[in-house]
Amino acid sequence: MTGISVENIAKRFGDVAALKGVALDVAPGEFVSLVGPSGCGKTTLMRIIAGLEMPDAGTVRIAERDVTGLRAADRDVAMVFQSYALYPHLTARQNMAVPLVMRRLNGWQRIPFLGARLPGTRNIVANIADEILRTAQMLSIEALLDRRPGQLSGGQRQRVALGRAIVRRPKAFLLDEPLSNLDASLRVQTRKEIVELHRRVGASTVYVTHDQTEAMTMSDRVAVMMAGEILQIDPPERIYGDPADLRVAAFVGSPSINVFDASVETGGRVAVDGYATGLATRASGRVVFAVRPEDLAPDQRVGMPARVEHIEFLGESLLLHARHARTGTAMIARLDGRERGAFAVGHDLLLRPDTARAFLFESGGKRLRAERMAQSAAEPVHG
Amino acid sequence: MADAAIHRVAATAAVRAPIGEAAAAWLLTAPAIVAFVLMLLVPTIAVCLLALTDFELGVPTFQFVGLDNFAELMRDRNFAIPVRNTAFFVALVAPLSILMGLVLALLIEANPRGRTFFRAAFFLPVVSLMVAMATAWQYLLHPTIGPVNAILRDLGLATPNWLGSSEWALISIGLISIWENAGFNMVLIMAGLTAIPRELYAAAEIDGARSAWARLRLVTWPLLGPTMLFVVLITTIRAIRTFDTVAALTQGGPNKASELIVYTIYREGFTYLRMGYASAMTVVFLAVVLGLMALQTRLIERRTHYG
Amino acid sequence: MDDRISKTLKSWLRDTPRLALLAALAVVFLLPYAWMLAVSVKPKSEVFSAALSLWPATWHAAENYGQVLREVPVLRYLWNGAVVCALILAFQLAFALPAGYALAKLRFRGSRTLFAFVMLGLLVPAHVPAIALYIAFANAKLLNTYTALVAPFTISVFAIFLFRQFFKALPDDLINAARIDGMNEASIVWRVAVPNAWPAATAFAIFSVVAHWSDLFWPLIVITKGDLYTPALGVLRFHSQEAGDDYGALMAAATLTMAPLVAAFLVAQRRFIEGITMTGIKG
Repeated sequence: MTGISVENIAKRFGDVAALKGVALDVAPGEFVSLVGPSGCGKTTLMRIIAGLEMPDAGTVRIAERDVTGLRAADRDVAMVFQSYALYPHLTARQNMAVPLVMRRLNGWQRIPFLGARLPGTRNIVANIADEILRTAQMLSIEALLDRRPGQLSGGQRQRVALGRAIVRRPKAFLLDEPLSNLDASLRVQTRKEIVELHRRVGASTVYVTHDQTEAMTMSDRVAVMMAGEILQIDPPERIYGDPADLRVAAFVGSPSINVFDASVETGGRVAVDGYATGLATRASGRVVFAVRPEDLAPDQRVGMPARVEHIEFLGESLLLHARHARTGTAMIARLDGRERGAFAVGHDLLLRPDTARAFLFESGGKRLRAERMAQSAAEPVHG
Repeated sequence: MADAAIHRVAATAAVRAPIGEAAAAWLLTAPAIVAFVLMLLVPTIAVCLLALTDFELGVPTFQFVGLDNFAELMRDRNFAIPVRNTAFFVALVAPLSILMGLVLALLIEANPRGRTFFRAAFFLPVVSLMVAMATAWQYLLHPTIGPVNAILRDLGLATPNWLGSSEWALISIGLISIWENAGFNMVLIMAGLTAIPRELYAAAEIDGARSAWARLRLVTWPLLGPTMLFVVLITTIRAIRTFDTVAALTQGGPNKASELIVYTIYREGFTYLRMGYASAMTVVFLAVVLGLMALQTRLIERRTHYG
Repeated sequence: MDDRISKTLKSWLRDTPRLALLAALAVVFLLPYAWMLAVSVKPKSEVFSAALSLWPATWHAAENYGQVLREVPVLRYLWNGAVVCALILAFQLAFALPAGYALAKLRFRGSRTLFAFVMLGLLVPAHVPAIALYIAFANAKLLNTYTALVAPFTISVFAIFLFRQFFKALPDDLINAARIDGMNEASIVWRVAVPNAWPAATAFAIFSVVAHWSDLFWPLIVITKGDLYTPALGVLRFHSQEAGDDYGALMAAATLTMAPLVAAFLVAQRRFIEGITMTGIKG
């Protein structure tokens, strides 16, 4: 049983391949984020799920039903747009009524004045009014129902747009960067509210965003997309702690992960400019050694030689921007904010990665399963 | 040193700004104000005053006659006919050229294929010299040698004397006006259509608006409201002041059947040189234009929803 | 590949009713032009005998166009039209650009009143002040001069309105930066505001030239001497006095007087439509 299932979706716009055979399964009631830089194809994928765009190849299933050939109006999906796309001439109440009216009343019943006199119309309309009120209560927007979008603030519009999507209890719920037009503080609050709302409504949800924080904080699983492909779909903690691709590791986490050119030496030992990292691999040649800023710390005895270039004090933590003394590679270490006084720009020091939490990647970007070596092997090769 | 200079300049500028700004503003607007007063304000007031006199060009004296000109207008058959003609003309031209413009705009915007060509083709009359096109139309509509009647004759239909008969003259001028204005309305409506956010159509689709008609009713038509208000206003005014085709093709004839109000003003004022009387007509014309604009704005605004 | 071809074919097929309807309408709209051109190259006998054939049996272009150029100073009319349109536009821009800037960006007492007058002026058709202007020009012995053709249109309240709206959208900080850099208001207008107003100025220029090239009402009133005829007036006089039903020559004259503007339109089509739309929508 799946909520939304997408297989082998390909889509070209002219000569540009927007999606290159994407697959995605969303369980019933699951919240999945599509995250990636702009132009990675995440919005296209969402529009294909919605039926606003037709794929060149592949299938889309919603609640076990193949909807690939169906248009948006015939799929049971609701969508919240980045611009909210509220009808400016209709009140909040009328906006929320549209999806219900369009589905439950036939063409004759929708005719103004005359339609209301047709048999059955009155009952349906009363039910619709009820459902709108209940949804509005859930979103606490009852007081706004008779206003037009032009009379609402950004946050209020966003709620009405959510209301219009929720009111018809869709099988699938699609959100396209719904928070990007809100200011920072409202964004944090709305993030929480959407998660709670999702828990109450329980529909399969696909959430498109370019903001990794949103993706990481809200979702059951995160799909990281780049250049028309999904690189990894996993729960947030695995995306962060066990990235399958260098691009995923680099995209998630702020400041970005430190990346070093490394070589594989005898016995598969991985070294960065002579510094033995303590990791080993069966691969040979050049590899990439990566370690997150919080896993890089100054050490008295061993580490990579670096010079401090800039210090950012953030309160609870402090970011040490340094450059490798020989290779010139830039690196950032996140340290405890209380160590503020211990460093100064221009200092030379040794930065030592926490081997247990570092990653190895092929030069092409794919993750290499590394073996940890005995601690003794982690001695510096050259003095 | 340089710092101090900048500070000094900034300080004096700040103190001087309000007075300097006002002086600069008056200097910048002065040429426009002078031209406005000389070419628009004074002449318009003068026309309103002339309307209260029996001024005739070439007659050395004239006197104040109060509202006599207006009283005469009320009785004047030569004024009543053009007023009636103009009302009929506007009622014919405005709705049809707007409908035509709307249909063309919707058809062209439905698909980018052929967009540039069709837009240019329908817009061409707007940039064409109307008097020249009027002569082309005269040939097309010529009762005996014109292609239109040649076609009608081949089809075995009646061949009216389009511009020469009192039944058809006004309608013919009207058809030419529709031809002239449809493309203009089309580009205005197309601009209004492109201003509608595409996401609203996506939302309508998601909300279950299956047919093109449902989307037209839910999105296009309401959001086109402000544009349509403007199109209705401007078309009405363009129709009401039609002059070129009448002057070139019928001179208001036959027997005043196609005489429109601006042509009457022209003939009364500049052919018969009865300036006082023509001024009274102008005042009535102005009042009608202003009244229509006020009425339409009011009526349409009530039904138009602004975001 | 095959798939792509069949897809294109299908989309054409689905689009056919729309294209057919538009094409039919376009034919109707372009009919007058087709016949105007056709008749302008036909001999008189053909004009009277074969109304429905567009292609002339005998080519008579040289005779018709030659006759027009011999009998009517068409080039003179075109020159007059160009001079009048250029002068009108120059004055309109010179008056309206600074005024629009002042109304948009400067705070001064009376600006609201001035703007109210602008809005009022927008409501008054150009035919209204005509009688008084005619009397004034007649008394000043200015009838039959370029001055009479140009002066009434030197002020365009519409241009002021358009430029005011346009300058309103210009960031205040840009103006303030120019002031800090030591420019006075006049140089701000010409060096900062106007260079940024090109889209609006081009749009207005197209609107103005189209309007005044085609204007018949006012030239008909103030011009009686042939050497000052504008294109519109020239066609009207040729039509009513000389040509009679010599449609070949008449259509040749119509074609010649219309050609410059239509040619300009066909070259800069997008500009024209944008110009008219922009001035239209904002008006």
